[in-house]
Amino acid sequence: MNTAASTPPPLLSVRGLCKHFPVMSRGFRPRVVKLIKAVDDVSFDLAPGETLGLVGESGSGKTTTARCVLRAITPTAGNVLFHLPGRAPVDLVRLSDGQLKPLRQHMQMIFQDPFSSLNPRMTVGDIIAEPLLLHGLAGKAEREDRVADMLARVGLKPDHRVRYPHAFSGGQRQRIGIARALIMRPALVVCDEATSALDVSVQSQVLDLLKELQHELNLTYLFVAHNLDVVRNFCDRVAVMRHGKLVELAPTDQLFAAPAHPYTRLLLSAVPSPDPDVPMNFNVGEELARLDACA
Amino acid sequence: MVSLNDEAAPASDAVLEVEDLRTHFKTDDGEVAAVDGVSFVVRRGRTLALVGESGSGKSVTSHSILRLIQPPGRICGGRMLLRSARAGDIDLARLDERSPLLYRVRGGLVSMIFQEPSSALSPVHTVGDQICEAILLHQTVNKAEARTRAIDMLGKVGIPDPAHRFTQYPHELSGGMRQRVVIAMALVCRPELLIADEPTTALDVTVQAQVLGLIRSLQREIGCSVLLITHDFGVVAQMADDVAVMHRGKLVEQGPVRTVLKHPQHPYTRALLDALPSRHASRRA
Repeated sequence: MNTAASTPPPLLSVRGLCKHFPVMSRGFRPRVVKLIKAVDDVSFDLAPGETLGLVGESGSGKTTTARCVLRAITPTAGNVLFHLPGRAPVDLVRLSDGQLKPLRQHMQMIFQDPFSSLNPRMTVGDIIAEPLLLHGLAGKAEREDRVADMLARVGLKPDHRVRYPHAFSGGQRQRIGIARALIMRPALVVCDEATSALDVSVQSQVLDLLKELQHELNLTYLFVAHNLDVVRNFCDRVAVMRHGKLVELAPTDQLFAAPAHPYTRLLLSAVPSPDPDVPMNFNVGEELARLDACA
Repeated sequence: MVSLNDEAAPASDAVLEVEDLRTHFKTDDGEVAAVDGVSFVVRRGRTLALVGESGSGKSVTSHSILRLIQPPGRICGGRMLLRSARAGDIDLARLDERSPLLYRVRGGLVSMIFQEPSSALSPVHTVGDQICEAILLHQTVNKAEARTRAIDMLGKVGIPDPAHRFTQYPHELSGGMRQRVVIAMALVCRPELLIADEPTTALDVTVQAQVLGLIRSLQREIGCSVLLITHDFGVVAQMADDVAVMHRGKLVEQGPVRTVLKHPQHPYTRALLDALPSRHASRRA
């Protein structure tokens, strides 16, 4: 038990997570004709203060995994142990909705699309304050203070609170989404393609902001992304998913320098490098087909 | 503007010369110069990448070339000289909206691949009908011959079982397959210039690699030039011979890819390259 004192227990332990979607036949008496295994036996740990990148192509199950972790959807099987410091670990999969609600303030999500994730009929101040209101956490005066504080932290002006989302650019909207997620002072933040919709220069600013806030507020990130360059730059460890399975999980430098799984190697070789002297692999298609034939 | 053409191209080498192009949009707050005096040359058999952030005017430039600008926008100045080997010199900026020559240019001499393959394809026509339509518009062949050529082209873009796919609708295909169909449609008439507007932005990285490889090999086979519109410097580095960097409707820098990417002269180009996660200092603790 000596080691437990030196390394803190993981904030999140995911074990054998599965999410299967049944495909029903059409007709009078629908039957299950197929089972789509969107997430299939996924396990990983997330240490407090760590950033874990979850990468994969579309349909690989990375977003479904993230949503299962937050219990936005209920997994088919598996455990998601959430261990807040100073409290007993709880299995999010086994909790009822009522038991989950007080825990929800400790886990928040930042979405991909800054245009559809903000209510166009609410002012920015109301959007950011809404989580506090829903959880009945602060009085009116305190809410106002915390919104003002959060706006300043994400680099927006205090008078922006009375404006509506349409008045803001994509990068600014993403900052509003970040403010809304962080006003609850969550322990775990799931960023689902949080910078994918942004231009490179804006993406760079938002990544800087996320890193800065992580240090200030001691946040743990589960960073879902498809851009491998962003993940390499931002994450401490990287998990690669394909067809619902976790194919490789390794510290970032190790994964990029010496990928162990053939799929990871192929994925990395397909990324076009901005250095014209580093050639990319145009034959990924045939090599993927060969890989699947071997399996 | 910083120009770095170390090997000045002779004029005859050009397939498209754009000179001082201006495309403006009327808005309530006055005229917006989306493209504000842009000049560049696409050389025969080569690839020019037009790179910039959203709103920089790169797509408006490409749409201007094919005269696809709709009111409140209009091309209000400049010259776009298409030096066609088949049809001679044509100033696209001065062509009449309804001239038969413009219809010959669109899809015949110059064709275009769009970012979103699902919106570039008609959902109510089969893949085969859409490719045949392009062939029948631009080539003097009968329907049976058009069908043979379309199936042949589907095979060339790497679609398995092309005769069966010919009869399918776009919704039955994956995103990567749809983009292959769009490429087949664009290249079936062997254009002299292919404009590819963010052709792989909507695709996964392994599919992107295949589609880019396909564009490259077909470009070599047909011998066409490519104007590649993109925001991704990785795609620029791997695909283009020359690059032009666009910012707020103006070209800030252009030159050979290796020179511009390795030794950017303009502060904006430098800032853009420094913002790339692969070039930016690691944000890890």
